[in-house]
Amino acid sequence: MSAWNDFLAAREIWREPLLASLVAGALCGFLGVYVVLRRTVFVSAALTQLSTLGLIAALILEESLGVEVEHTGVQLAVALAFSVAGALALGMALQGRKLPGEAGVGMSYVLAGALVVLGANRLVHAAHDLNAMVFGNAVAVPVADLVALTTVALVCAVVHLLFAKELVFVSFDAETAAALGFDTRLWNGLLFLTLGLAIPVAARTMGALPVFAFLTIPAAAALLLARRLRAAFVIATLIGLVAATGGYVLSWFWQLPTGPTMVVLAGVFVIPGALLRARQ
Amino acid sequence: MTAPLVALERAAVGYGGQPLLRDVSLAVVPGDFVAIVGPNGGGKTTILRALLGVLPVIAGHRLQPGPLRIGYVPQRDHVDAYWPLTVAEVALMGRYRRVGPARRPGPADREAVAAALARVGIGDLSPRAFRTLSGGQRQRTLIARALAADPELLALDEPTNGMDPAAELDAMDVLRSLHRGGRLAIVMVSHRIEAVANYASTLAFVDKDKSLFRIGPLGEMLSPSALGELYGRAVTVREENGRRFVYPEPAP
Repeated sequence: MSAWNDFLAAREIWREPLLASLVAGALCGFLGVYVVLRRTVFVSAALTQLSTLGLIAALILEESLGVEVEHTGVQLAVALAFSVAGALALGMALQGRKLPGEAGVGMSYVLAGALVVLGANRLVHAAHDLNAMVFGNAVAVPVADLVALTTVALVCAVVHLLFAKELVFVSFDAETAAALGFDTRLWNGLLFLTLGLAIPVAARTMGALPVFAFLTIPAAAALLLARRLRAAFVIATLIGLVAATGGYVLSWFWQLPTGPTMVVLAGVFVIPGALLRARQ
Repeated sequence: MTAPLVALERAAVGYGGQPLLRDVSLAVVPGDFVAIVGPNGGGKTTILRALLGVLPVIAGHRLQPGPLRIGYVPQRDHVDAYWPLTVAEVALMGRYRRVGPARRPGPADREAVAAALARVGIGDLSPRAFRTLSGGQRQRTLIARALAADPELLALDEPTNGMDPAAELDAMDVLRSLHRGGRLAIVMVSHRIEAVANYASTLAFVDKDKSLFRIGPLGEMLSPSALGELYGRAVTVREENGRRFVYPEPAP
């Protein structure tokens, strides 16, 4: 009981991080259904790398300008710019005919990854931040980051509630949607835009690798369990929410790294669906 | 003369500004059943996409005198069967254009879907998962989705591809029943002339490697000279039990 009391007593410390984990987990869980069903898992991996690259670019810029106080808003803005530009470019690349879409995604992933390593190598003061950026460290989340994350989550929710049928149609069967007069570039662009917005703000809280995991695992678990698409979205959102908040709490009690704990807990939710499918 | 629903006039069609075929002229009027036939990779789908306005023509013109309600049936294997959607949900997509963005389908849309599913003989499959259907049932679902749009023009891309002969006959009979006596125009792409020789009123032969685009009434296009141009060898057409069969002869 004393551990639980200690935890409750420390709510000033964990309140924002826990809320941020909740929002980021739910947001990534929801969007992950599109990522998995569209078979674009590595698009989210490339976007998380690009987002990290944006953060590193901002840190290098701050160091080279001699800025001693970190401007998290600027860092986030640069990460958003990298991620949104990447999302729109990769969305176009996946529809292109000149190269297989996977080639563009793969190149973006490895090039961004290499540039992250090279960029981190140049960082002098902020190098300690890199581990948190990549592997996640939701121990301290500034209120500004929580506000940015919640705003993006609300924007994504509105877009996906209003245009669910268009986004599902162009994702499920773009060819027919185009033949019926839908502007598939516009709708695909909107979908990738929400991904491009969500990834950097979620990565600020959870880290790049956990965001990649949360765009994949909750959706995969939900698709194993659900018989209907609507149910898959609801289950994936709930798994993302529970795994992120549960992982945060468990990491607190067991003194574990936060991001990996969240990811492992999300992985546990795959088991019921896998067992169910094995029985069928 | 009936005004066409849609037409290509001396069109060059292709991708990235590179024409695959030139001088393509094709007009579809209400009640037409046009089959576009040729080898795989011959440019059939490219013509269909240009006709539907999905692919801009590189030269020449695409004419569409007025608004046109299109129903489209893609190649079955282009539709991802992994999605957890019911038959009714897939068919409802045919109504989305009518419903408009940011609005939800209403009872009238669901009634139209139920009618379309019944029309192709799978009304009872409405709540079933699309991914659990047989190939023929999936094809009927996609045709129902196209019909749910209440189309004036039904376009189908290789609708019988990968089907066994019985399922192919079944699917073509569905199309014939939809077409018979109505004003619905059908444009169908197929690499198998046998699949369409008993149904279409107009045939177009397409092969980009031979720069071939030839179109005409069925009887004219089933002549030895026209078929010889498409297949590059002698071709015999025989009628048995009221059905036409096309036999390419062995090369000499």
